[in-house]
Amino acid sequence: MAEQLNSMLSLRGLTRRFGGLTAVDAIDLDLAKGGLVSIIGPNGAGKTTLFNLVTGIDRPDAGTVHFEGQDITGLSPERLAAAGIARTFQLGRVFGNLSVMDNVLIGAHTRLRAVKPAVPAIGPLLELGLALLRPASVQAEEERLREEVKAILARFGERLLPRIDQPAYSLSYANRRRVEIARALALQPRLLLLDEPTAGMNPTETSEMQALVAELNAEGLTILLIEHKLEMVMRLSDRVIVMDEGKKIAEGSGEDVRSDPKVIEAYLGHGLSGTTEQESAA
Amino acid sequence: MTASAPEPLLALSNVDTFYGQAQVHFGLSITVARGHIVCLLGGNASGKSTTMKIILGLVKPRSGEVTFDGASLLGLSTPQIVRRGIASVPEARRLFADMSVRENILMGAFVRNDREAIAQDLDKMLTLFPKLGQRLSQRAGSLSGGEQQMVAMARALMSRPRMIVMDEPTMGLSPLYVDRVLELIRTINQEGVSVFMVEQNASLALEIAHEAYVLQTGKIVLSGPARALKDDPRVRDAYLGGSEAA
Amino acid sequence: MSSWLDYTINGLIVGNVYALVAVGLALIFGVSRLINFAQGSIYLVGAYIGWVAVVQLHTPLPLTIIVVAVAAAIVGLIIERFGLRPLQNSVRIAPLLATIGISFVLDQLVMLTFSPNPRALPSQLPEVRFQVGNGTIGPLDLLIAGVGITSALLLFVFLRYSKLGWAVRAASQDRDAAMQMGVDVNRVNQAVFGIAAALGGVSGMLVGMYYNQIDTAMSLQATLKGVVAEVVGGAGNVPGAVIGSLLLGLVESYGVAVFGTSYRNLFAFLLLVVVLVLRPNGLFASARQAPPEPLTGTFIAPSRPVRIPRWALAVAAAGFAILPLFPVSFYVLQTLINAWLLGMLALSLTLVAGTIGQVSLGHAALLAIGAYTSALLSLTLNVPVGLAVIGGGLMSAALGTLLISPSFRLRGHYVSIATLAIGEIVSLVILNWESVTRGPIGISGIPPLSLFGYDLISPTPIYWFSFAVMVVLALLQGRLLTSHLGRSFRAIRDDDIAARAYGLSLNRYKSLAFIFGGFAAGVSGGIAAHLYSYINHETFNTQQSILALTVVILGGLGNVVGAILGSVALVGLPEVFRIAAEYRILIYGIVLLLLVRFRPQGLLGTM
Ligand SMILES: Nc1ncnc2c1ncn2[C@@H]1O[C@H](COP(=O)(O)OP(=O)(O)OP(=O)(O)O)[C@@H](O)[C@H]1O
Ligand SMILES: Nc1ncnc2c1ncn2[C@@H]1O[C@H](COP(=O)(O)OP(=O)(O)OP(=O)(O)O)[C@@H](O)[C@H]1O
Ligand SMILES: [Mg+2]
Ligand SMILES: [Mg+2]
Repeated sequence: MAEQLNSMLSLRGLTRRFGGLTAVDAIDLDLAKGGLVSIIGPNGAGKTTLFNLVTGIDRPDAGTVHFEGQDITGLSPERLAAAGIARTFQLGRVFGNLSVMDNVLIGAHTRLRAVKPAVPAIGPLLELGLALLRPASVQAEEERLREEVKAILARFGERLLPRIDQPAYSLSYANRRRVEIARALALQPRLLLLDEPTAGMNPTETSEMQALVAELNAEGLTILLIEHKLEMVMRLSDRVIVMDEGKKIAEGSGEDVRSDPKVIEAYLGHGLSGTTEQESAA
Repeated sequence: MTASAPEPLLALSNVDTFYGQAQVHFGLSITVARGHIVCLLGGNASGKSTTMKIILGLVKPRSGEVTFDGASLLGLSTPQIVRRGIASVPEARRLFADMSVRENILMGAFVRNDREAIAQDLDKMLTLFPKLGQRLSQRAGSLSGGEQQMVAMARALMSRPRMIVMDEPTMGLSPLYVDRVLELIRTINQEGVSVFMVEQNASLALEIAHEAYVLQTGKIVLSGPARALKDDPRVRDAYLGGSEAA
Repeated sequence: MSSWLDYTINGLIVGNVYALVAVGLALIFGVSRLINFAQGSIYLVGAYIGWVAVVQLHTPLPLTIIVVAVAAAIVGLIIERFGLRPLQNSVRIAPLLATIGISFVLDQLVMLTFSPNPRALPSQLPEVRFQVGNGTIGPLDLLIAGVGITSALLLFVFLRYSKLGWAVRAASQDRDAAMQMGVDVNRVNQAVFGIAAALGGVSGMLVGMYYNQIDTAMSLQATLKGVVAEVVGGAGNVPGAVIGSLLLGLVESYGVAVFGTSYRNLFAFLLLVVVLVLRPNGLFASARQAPPEPLTGTFIAPSRPVRIPRWALAVAAAGFAILPLFPVSFYVLQTLINAWLLGMLALSLTLVAGTIGQVSLGHAALLAIGAYTSALLSLTLNVPVGLAVIGGGLMSAALGTLLISPSFRLRGHYVSIATLAIGEIVSLVILNWESVTRGPIGISGIPPLSLFGYDLISPTPIYWFSFAVMVVLALLQGRLLTSHLGRSFRAIRDDDIAARAYGLSLNRYKSLAFIFGGFAAGVSGGIAAHLYSYINHETFNTQQSILALTVVILGGLGNVVGAILGSVALVGLPEVFRIAAEYRILIYGIVLLLLVRFRPQGLLGTM
């Protein structure tokens, strides 16, 4: 029971089928408050699909998702965002024509209070009215959020701040990914899901990102991470879950998992990349 | 650039590129020798993908020259360039999302007309990427990220190119497949295909490459034989400096 | 019972006719992700070339078909080469607008050459009829069915199994990537437009023979019905287009059987809306599928809007405000009043089409709702005109949003088609709901504008009034765009999945955009009703929706100042050059074409 109370996210028997293929097959997972669990597995194992199920982008065929003790299975992404779940997308989904600033401000949308009073029925009309009238409280809120966005962007050093007013489409691939992470942070999530945050980054940039994720985790943020860079996974995670063909094939500490023969067979292979990829950064 | 290299197959010389007012390349010069693997390293936003687009004719440089096999590519359209024997693995895959996996792979053979050999090559791709064999009729857009990357690779190989340019071919692949793809690149190179690739997985890429260039904010700051660069402390500096961001 | 059989047969025969257009549309959609609004014009051209061949040259049927096919194919090739190819690197909406422009130009050219009066196009087939139930089927029915089904099958096989067919599909999904495979995208498009145009031309001729009459109004009707059938079948799905057409024919036929002829189109558009709501990707596509992460670019042009300094805007506004104090003619004021009314509509459309990305082709419906509400309030309830106009705005905001809400879950071109249908439905309801709207007779004797008991009759006060209303609406909209709603709207436009993942409810924000925009459009309609003093169901038609869209593109999508500038330009320029009325649509078409060609992001840029 104590563990239940402490649990941030818990999945039971989560399943999603596409035609004959079971992309996610009866997955159980528990993530404690403040923890960092990584999901690894070969391509097509079902990791991204699992994220989609947790964040409401897709609905499970069976199984449940509990978040802070509440059953959230099948809720819409809007409600899950309001509940404090933020995610990044594997291939990137920034708002191309919005500036970096506006992209990240959208991340803070669920935290708007002054301009979005929680009044039933006429709430939307009030929102329209307040957006037009903009009383002092609304202006102050907007100003505070803008400052906050700058603070978030500062976490990425000089990569995004100088480009704050540029439209996102003009950024390079990796910088677009960073904007996504910044946007997720602006939600002040209780649970953050990162889908391959370091794709397209070189070893130096990867360790920069690794440091950021570690910092966020140390600040108390609960994180679920998908990553193929094993070195990073080993350093960051409390626990690693290995998926293959939709099923969980191993679970445990990074060291346990890495030496598990099933994992080596399905995921790591016998080559060198699993151990050398971050050599130059280490 | 290197003295020992055989005659160049691809050469960029003094290329300046702009997006509107913003300059991305400053007098960029790169050569790829016939039969070599050349790797382009560099931090984010340094202009690597733009270099690929220049070679393929998708972006035109403001000044400078690009030659392939001795002839200029600058006046040519992208399909014409491809027909000269250059295949590509684009950044972020760029699959035909609503076509099946099979159709995507076969699109790679669009410039060929030898039906039987194409069928054989398709079989070969499926042995290289067995995962795709089970997915042949699935819409490419619904594949997982790594599966898409495999399709992009297979599609590029289907044209039996003389040269292949790849923008981060191992992005999103699991370690097992990173090894396989790099191994594959080495194999096709031994079969005579020249390779020009952008790769973030630097230590592994330098393992298989003959030469490498390091790009920093649109300028080549280092170049030479891959082996030498791998041990060069400045390569690590270029990476650890983190100054490419500007 | 036997009469149901008759209606069924009749429905199939008519569906057969629709199929000819729908197949050509589906082919082009399959290639360029483009709903080709010019297909109806090619159909028209085909019919008239057929008329020339049959009536003046006395060609035999096989030769007629060949002549028409070749001539139409040439038109198709010209359209591709000069209308669409230059747009390859621009946004997805640019080619759609170009086809609208081309259809204006072609329709007008045909009208100027042949005059708008109907002509008889005699069938060249023997006059035998086979008795089926109480109806008959002739050889022409069979020929039409044969052409429709054969071409659908051939095209299906072509797209699915031929190398060129694959290239066609690949090019439509990612042009750059297709070029990187060595596909010569231009060649491919040429082939497709040639084929589709040949098919379209032959259909026009056959249908002309079928009804034994051709006229220049065929074009829009054909496009509308073809688009409905194609979308019902699943855009780009060639066999689906045939089935969709037959279904459309049947539904119309049964609808007419139960309710009468004036309900024919109503049923067509209701069918479309129902299908789109239940199966957003057409009947034959699976409904539940999380869309993949985007592999290519967006609908809106990446551009940086031109920033006009505030003082310059203030000076311009002041200039227009004091204009009536100078000795300008009533004619100039009248023209500018029209520009201000169009400006309000454009403000509304630029918000929903540009800012939140719901490209509406039925926007005139909002004008109609506002106009009828305001007219009826002042006429039957004696509400003061000023209040009645506001009432019209509110009604348009509320009712318009409600009516358009089924389209909120759709994407891209489907939104345009759904709104087009909703617009048509509104106009048909106005036509048929006689007890309230007075049906086809329309409403006459609408009182003039008045404020606080003073009637505004001469142009000067009307000018001031409409200008002031427009400026207020523009200022409000500008303020809206700089608020959190502005960025939320644009985020939804750029990527609705990511927007939802950050807590933005699509229904809520799309509703807000339509409420705000609906009010502006409703007010414009309301004012217009009191100016015209007579309105009917055709006062606010599809052509106005398209005109408004032209204005919005001209100014730059989402751009408030652009919308007003566009209105002044589009209303004013033809007046300045004293262009005769019959050439005006032609000019609009050409302007639209030049515009998307040289400045697809609009004069002032998209926001
Ligand atoms: N809509 C769909 N229809 C059919 N199959 C699908 C669909 N979506 C995903 N799949 C399949 O489900 C499997 C799991 O995909 P998922 O994206 O979850 O993999 P992943 O573990 O994230 O892989 P990667 O590391 O490559 O990103 C894949 O084999 C994919 O092809
Ligand atoms: N369409 C565009 N318009 C304006 N600027 C652009 C455009 N595309 C790229 N840029 C800019 O050009 C520079 C180089 O971009 P490029 O994509 O070549 O970088 P890259 O080295 O491939 O980076 P990454 O490792 O992140 O993929 C970046 O600063 C980017 O912001
Ligand atoms: Mg994935
Ligand atoms: Mg790149």
